[in-house]
Amino acid sequence: MPRNRSLYSPYSRRLATSRRRFLQGGAAALAGMALSNCRQGGVSDVQAPDTETGNGNGGEGGGGSDTLHIYTWADYVDEELTAAFTAETGIQVVTDIYDSNETMLARLQAGGGSAYSIIYPSDYMVEEMIELDLLTTLDQDRVEGLDTMLDQWVSPAYDPDNVHSVPFSWGTTGLLFNRELVSGDPEDWDYLWDNQQALNRRFTLLDDVRETMGAVLKSLGYSYNATDPDELEEAFERLMELRPAIAAFRSFGWEDELLGGDLDLVMSYSVDAIAATLEDPAFEYVIPLSGSSVWTDTLVIPETAPNVDAAYEWINFNLDANVAAQTVERLFFATPNSEALDLIDDDLLANEDLFPPDEILARCEGIAPVGPEASALYDRYWTEVTSA
Amino acid sequence: MTAPPTVPREIALAAKPSLGQRLGQLIEPLTLLLPSGVWLVLFLVIPTLLIAEISLVPGLRPGDVPGAYGLGNYLQIFQPVYLRVLFRSLNFALGTTGLCLIVGFPVAYWIALMAPKRWRTLLLVVFILPLWTSSLLRAYAWITILRSSGLLNVVLQAVGIPGQNILNSPAAVYVGMTYSFLPYMVLILYSSLEKLDIRLLEAAADLGANPAQRFWQVTVPQTLPGIAAGGLLVFITSLGDFVVPTLLGGASSMTIARLIYNQFLGPTRNWGFGSSMSMLLILAVSLAIALLIRYGDRNPENYS
Amino acid sequence: MSQTTSTQRSAPPAAATLDVELRQVFKIFGPDTAVKGVDLKIRQGEFFSILGPSGCGKTTTLRLIAGFETPTTGEVLLQGRNVSHMPAYRRPVNTVFQSYALFGHMSVWDNIAFGLRIKRVGKSEVRTQVAEALRLVQMESFARRVPGQLSGGQQQRVALARALVNRPAVMLLDEPLGALDLKLRKEMQVELSNLHRKLGITFIMVTHDQEEALSLSDRIAVMRDGEIEQVGTPSQIYDFPKTPFVADFIGETNLVRGKVDQAARDGLKVTTDTGLQVWVQPPKIEIPLTAGMAAVVSVRPEKIRLSTQASPAQPGQNCFAGRLQHVMYLGTHLQCRVVLNTGEHLTVLQPNRHQRLPELETPVYASWAATDCLALAAKSPASELTDAS
Repeated sequence: MPRNRSLYSPYSRRLATSRRRFLQGGAAALAGMALSNCRQGGVSDVQAPDTETGNGNGGEGGGGSDTLHIYTWADYVDEELTAAFTAETGIQVVTDIYDSNETMLARLQAGGGSAYSIIYPSDYMVEEMIELDLLTTLDQDRVEGLDTMLDQWVSPAYDPDNVHSVPFSWGTTGLLFNRELVSGDPEDWDYLWDNQQALNRRFTLLDDVRETMGAVLKSLGYSYNATDPDELEEAFERLMELRPAIAAFRSFGWEDELLGGDLDLVMSYSVDAIAATLEDPAFEYVIPLSGSSVWTDTLVIPETAPNVDAAYEWINFNLDANVAAQTVERLFFATPNSEALDLIDDDLLANEDLFPPDEILARCEGIAPVGPEASALYDRYWTEVTSA
Repeated sequence: MTAPPTVPREIALAAKPSLGQRLGQLIEPLTLLLPSGVWLVLFLVIPTLLIAEISLVPGLRPGDVPGAYGLGNYLQIFQPVYLRVLFRSLNFALGTTGLCLIVGFPVAYWIALMAPKRWRTLLLVVFILPLWTSSLLRAYAWITILRSSGLLNVVLQAVGIPGQNILNSPAAVYVGMTYSFLPYMVLILYSSLEKLDIRLLEAAADLGANPAQRFWQVTVPQTLPGIAAGGLLVFITSLGDFVVPTLLGGASSMTIARLIYNQFLGPTRNWGFGSSMSMLLILAVSLAIALLIRYGDRNPENYS
Repeated sequence: MSQTTSTQRSAPPAAATLDVELRQVFKIFGPDTAVKGVDLKIRQGEFFSILGPSGCGKTTTLRLIAGFETPTTGEVLLQGRNVSHMPAYRRPVNTVFQSYALFGHMSVWDNIAFGLRIKRVGKSEVRTQVAEALRLVQMESFARRVPGQLSGGQQQRVALARALVNRPAVMLLDEPLGALDLKLRKEMQVELSNLHRKLGITFIMVTHDQEEALSLSDRIAVMRDGEIEQVGTPSQIYDFPKTPFVADFIGETNLVRGKVDQAARDGLKVTTDTGLQVWVQPPKIEIPLTAGMAAVVSVRPEKIRLSTQASPAQPGQNCFAGRLQHVMYLGTHLQCRVVLNTGEHLTVLQPNRHQRLPELETPVYASWAATDCLALAAKSPASELTDAS
């Protein structure tokens, strides 16, 4: 699921930030998007990642090896925390960024990822990468702090017992709306169909086949990960009913219209939505009652990782409750670390958009791979919907 | 019947360059062509052949064991839904080309023939300036202009015209793509118009042609190669663009470029199907270029 | 070298209607004044040439008539109508351009038919007229070619045909033969002359080639620095130039600068600073020169005789001693250069009669009749006098 973390810089997510700042953040981040594969280095003047393989200390070279290459989402690595890591371990961190799991996978499969020791794939992508034998099995003796995971992440479906991955952050998908413009109470996906006239061309859905089809499947009472062709067809037809009223399928680029009052409602990832709700109380985020998707981003070590020691150092650093708590406060996604919860600011902890109650979370599903046949069906229906 | 004149054997032999000479004649062009030749083979020919091969394996996904060759991927294109996407892409590209021509010609004409000479370079630079920013940023800027409460409607309502809901419609795609590719069109038309022989326009005026007749009967035919080249460039680039349709086109903006993108970097990852559509695009573009070379790029002074 | 044409044209009747008239026309381009108060009256059916060195404003004058330029002040009249601000495409004139300006994207036939089609002449009519125009310039067999496949002379003919097929009131020709080689130019001169006679329409030709102007024109206007120096028939221009510039520009001449010493009814005497005294007997036309005025004496090289003996001094005859400096063999003529004892240089043209010439550097006498030279008022001595060489 290609979430766009770059939309808001961490600094624009403060409560006090003015709307103007919010906008600037959006535009600047967009400019960054265009350069999405550029390196965002904490350290300048490092070797090209691909030369690192021959240059690094190899797998068993001992603790203090010099450089760690990370492949991650935009705005996923906080500079101050990175500096703290370097101070603690003496390891320099270099980050490259990607904008979708698929881009990352394509680069890895094309052999362009051999320099990376740490990658941040999402749940379903972890599953795919395990199947493709791209990930190392984690040495459980070297990972410290996995026992702090909340129940849902002790043994996630995408990677039972966290054999290959360490949960890093999570969030949900839901509806972000302008309270002043919508009538009634958007509580569930059905709201869209019930208010199709009023919402006509005033709302957007995610430009992501699995998220949008998943939402429709949920509204019909099916799984987000349905593979039954009949269920998919039913969902497709229900989506076609709604289609004339949909302004656009957008994963990003909607914030201007939403702030300007040209959109009433957008389907969005919690991390983007929370930023908006904190900016302006007119915006509310809701996780639909019939359920939605909950996504997890993880830390993994690829098979080809050159500097495994440093990778473990990084994993353990991020598993530290203090670091995890600061990550939440700085970057605005929920942490699976139970100990960190005690350290987080009370206001944030009480934010149900960020940490939804368990009964809501229980109705959410992680997106899982559906196999080639269903995948082709999804794509076909998606093409139908977007080209009608 | 007369026998063909025979050339004495030794003369015929002497007239032929020796093997060494011929080799020498070969080596020089080879040396000159080698760098670009290697480049072309490595980065154009081989990748294209790879795409061609992948396109012949139905439903090939990365990590799969390739199945048997077949034309399944190509047949898939002919399903109505994909034909619709293809048709829409062609519409966007043709419309953009037409609009660029209509908007770009007067501008290029003005810069090349009417603006003071010392300003021309500056005017051209001003026109090319937007190309220095990211195309994504430019598309984003159009969102702020075209949205319901955006700049366009503020202006329209100020002069008493009811607001238009253009964003998230095909019209917005035409506007955004025309804006994006206009500089290319203006540049090419400019270089063509700059070479226009003003004396031909005077000759036409002298023969009684009014300004409109001069334009259609002299200016247009004389700048036809530029028009064709500019049109082709805009057509090809807009056919491959997916930023503008994605951001401005709304719910019904699937284009062939986005479809290909989805096959490679979307969750489907059907590289076989994506490759077959890529081959189709490559074929269409090659055909257009071939047509341009055959019919478009003739020196009007030198018909033969 | 020049030759006055033997075919002396009869000047058109003075009462003939005017086709083109320019009244006090000025044309200013930014800081440059290209045309300074030009007055011209061109009669119907005339072959009129505007002659002058490059940059003299002759082409601008033609463009003002064609309508490619509008006068800054003054009026342009075509057949009595003020057309100063009428765009080119509405004027009943057609131009043959120096560069031909043929449409490269059209066949010869379509080039010639262009004007007729613009005027929406019927199809069959176009066919007849284009065919006739092609015949007139002897290009019938090239109708299907495009201009790029034609030689310069052939393109020139097409350009002519393209203009004349429209039966304009006035044909304008801008250096029409300038791009052709000498032999072709001579041929085309004859054809132009024939065409003019056949069609009977007014031709206005701009040229810097005085020979071409003299041989083709009924009348010539000599321009210099945006002004008209003199208008007249070829023989008037050649034999009786009004200014030293015209004398010098048309044909070759020797100019001797001095002061009028003595002005009488039967002649005047011009004395140079070096003391040379030249007798001039005024021709038919009056020259307003009085004693004390600065004057320039013009004597054509072919009017001077060389001999080894001095001719007896007599009024009405000039004879000066000098020495032969240089002889150039020109076939029909010998061109000699003589330095007078007073320092003046003279160019002398002697018919080649296989006579023996004095040795170089030997003393010779150059003599000419007072009636064979002209005295002209020197306007601005510095710029008027260029050494005749």
